[in-house]
Amino acid sequence: MRERSSTGPVALATAALAAALTMAADARAFDETKYPALKGQWDRVGAPRWADPRTAPLTDEYRAIFEANLKDQAAGGQGTDPTYTCLSPGMPRIMNVYDPMEIVVTPDTTHILIQHIHDSRRIFTDGRDWTEEITPTFSGYSIGQWSDEDGDGRYDVLIIETRHIKGPRSFDSTGLPLHEDNETVVKERVYLDKADPNLLHDDITVIDHALTRPWTVNKTYRRAKTPRPVWSEAVCAEGNLHVVIGSENYFLSADGHLMPTRKNQPPPDLRYFNQARK
Amino acid sequence: MRRISIGSLAAAVIMAAAGAHAFDDAKYPDLKGQWTRISPPGQPAFDPSKPRGRGQQAPLTPEYQAVFEANLADLAAGGEGLWPGYTCRPPGMPPLMTAYEPMEIIVTPDTTYIRIDHIHDTHRRIFTDGRNWPVEVEPAYAGYSIGRWAEPDQTGRYGVLEIETRHIKGPRAFDASGIPLHRDNNTVVKERLYLDTADPNILHDEITVIDNALTRPWTVTKNYRRSPDPRPVWPEYICAENNAHVHIGQESYFVSADGYLMPAKKGQAPPDLRYFNRREGGAAQSK
Repeated sequence: MRERSSTGPVALATAALAAALTMAADARAFDETKYPALKGQWDRVGAPRWADPRTAPLTDEYRAIFEANLKDQAAGGQGTDPTYTCLSPGMPRIMNVYDPMEIVVTPDTTHILIQHIHDSRRIFTDGRDWTEEITPTFSGYSIGQWSDEDGDGRYDVLIIETRHIKGPRSFDSTGLPLHEDNETVVKERVYLDKADPNLLHDDITVIDHALTRPWTVNKTYRRAKTPRPVWSEAVCAEGNLHVVIGSENYFLSADGHLMPTRKNQPPPDLRYFNQARK
Repeated sequence: MRRISIGSLAAAVIMAAAGAHAFDDAKYPDLKGQWTRISPPGQPAFDPSKPRGRGQQAPLTPEYQAVFEANLADLAAGGEGLWPGYTCRPPGMPPLMTAYEPMEIIVTPDTTYIRIDHIHDTHRRIFTDGRNWPVEVEPAYAGYSIGRWAEPDQTGRYGVLEIETRHIKGPRAFDASGIPLHRDNNTVVKERLYLDTADPNILHDEITVIDNALTRPWTVTKNYRRSPDPRPVWPEYICAENNAHVHIGQESYFVSADGYLMPAKKGQAPPDLRYFNRREGGAAQSK
């Protein structure tokens, strides 16, 4: 039997095909048809609440912190919600999506753009591993992996893990707290609804020392119908009436004067002013 | 039997592959990575090729030259002048492109995004989907930008992103020295963004500003260098986090390291505390 030559017509054809495919791959590095169509403007479905606070599996210590926060809020304070000073809500609260969200998928990074206080994220999908030195940030450091769970040759789920998140943070404006050690780990599964591709789901599991167990909630977002949506700019510092001096929070009145946020709140100490000049 | 040539088979495969890939990113310049501004050390000026302040030689109208001089006097007295950044308001266009923090450019067929995490978490959108100016646009600090990819050297690849930005919100200044833009906010910014032909790790942005505070269009070129790190660190900048400036009414104050309000200028009066019940409470303790 004659041996097949590696330089025969079939091998040549195969080599040519392989070369053609490689050229095509090089020329078009980003095969966006492999990814779910996430383009457009996404708005949250429902109120920007993490969940019913009564269902939160808080430890006894953090349940007490939450109750004290509610008492402070009832008295006019801000409790453990830090965003009134224009601090970023951070993860996982970012995914409450306070302003419309855009998801920009590239091969190496998926960008989640939300123009709220400071809510945008980078999810690295370039195969990197956790590095040793990561400076904590409010949005955290997110590594993602695309998964083809139904085996149809297209990715359908973005699996994300986020660590190295900075504080202070709460789950939402009720002040539902996360642990002050900031060792939160957030795991997400982002996917389009199978029945309605204009609905997006994010199954979010939070692992945090303020919780007795991992806490999973599902967030849902709806795609705007307009192909050219309006992207409003949110600038927290603009029109923010909160003024923090030391550990006290005051309001600015409509006529531009400082005013108390709670009954009988003392005014700020003016020791550094030359009072005789007033 | 009909023979299919290897060449035609390969061509068919390429065409099939092209059909499957809607975004031909090989047509666009490679702008990936982290870009950092090239400018002399210290507080960056709008025109990086000239000294700050008066040295910028901004072609201001006499009215706005006077506004600028008053701003310089205020700065010298300890005030904040016209630069709005101390209140954590974003610089807006065009000073946004000074790139006070590292910049990322994400090119997609319909939109090019410019991400700069400075005072504001900016994601500037430059629409390249062929749209015209909408009838109604809500002004924003980043403005509304329409872009067009140009192929000046006929190589089959785009070389320049031409951008026009309108509907920009104020207050704004060109840089922290307080060179003013007109308060009517009718600024138009035209840009040409392109890679250096000799060094693809250098990016240029030719910026022409048309503004009623100026006697003529003012063109400067900003330059950026690409980080050699393929996985750069993207720092998070939260202006509100350590901002010691407090703005009450028309006055700017500082909060001292020990948490007390203090004047920003010599002889500055304290804030009016008319809404406090002085009889019931003493002064608030800072800690």
